[in-house]
Amino acid sequence: MFRGPAVPANQIHDFHPPIAPSGLYWVVPVPDRGLTISPDGNTFTLEMQNVPVVDQPRWPALDSIATPAQMTFKMVWKSTGEPVRYEDPSKHFRFIGTRASCQLEAQVEVPSVGFSWKSDPLNTSKSDFAILGDEVNGRYYDN
Amino acid sequence: MPRFMEGYYAREVISPIEGTSMELMTNWRRRHSRRDILKSSALAIFPLAVRSGNSSLLDQQPMTANGGTDPYPIPWLDKNGSHNQPAGANLEPSHIYHFKGRVARCSTFTGLGTDNQGNRIAFGSPTTDYGIMQGEFWGARAAQQGVFTHI
Repeated sequence: MFRGPAVPANQIHDFHPPIAPSGLYWVVPVPDRGLTISPDGNTFTLEMQNVPVVDQPRWPALDSIATPAQMTFKMVWKSTGEPVRYEDPSKHFRFIGTRASCQLEAQVEVPSVGFSWKSDPLNTSKSDFAILGDEVNGRYYDN
Repeated sequence: MPRFMEGYYAREVISPIEGTSMELMTNWRRRHSRRDILKSSALAIFPLAVRSGNSSLLDQQPMTANGGTDPYPIPWLDKNGSHNQPAGANLEPSHIYHFKGRVARCSTFTGLGTDNQGNRIAFGSPTTDYGIMQGEFWGARAAQQGVFTHI
């Protein structure tokens, strides 16, 4: 979140899960029914409530303080149908899918500092880059 | 003798296995005192003493030791030293490695919201990215199933 233009000096909050001890980066499991995929595979809807996260306004500074917070959000990807293929044999990954649109609505709360925030409705947001599809990587890449 | 073997036999002639070295091996008893043997015995039981400190581990029931079932992170690092991959064209969409399944990825959000003081606050930047990974991944030396999100 930014007060003013989206540049690092204006960042006042940064919400994300902690990095796992394994190094897994800002990844959390999605509970049952959190992800809905349309029968044609063209729309992904992700909804999660009260996800434990941290607020690190000075991320990525190493000494950035992390304050416990929680996040509720809904995110919708819709395929545009335009095919996309990304593959890098040196990194052992292959993605085959389509470009997409993605919109988000969210609310966050940092109880210890009495801060909360709620986004405008889903259809008022937009992302400049989105894709969806199928991927293999690592040990599955050569199989 | 073939020319290429001359050096080999020359080295064998001066090998320490013959002469003094072998004498040391066959006459070790008279070169070690009883005190030396007692010292050696004390050192020999040292590993047993260390192991007794881990008796709680030995008391446990037999179990597997295959590691956790958490997914592996992607193996490379970003500019900040994290196992992170920014979203973008021709870039790895998943944050989980040894994975096959469905993914969705997005970044560079723009949007607005309101805080509890009534302030209008923008969210999103080029590095604001999210992802979904649904499918099979490798963990604990076996295939696992799961759904994860990068937020």
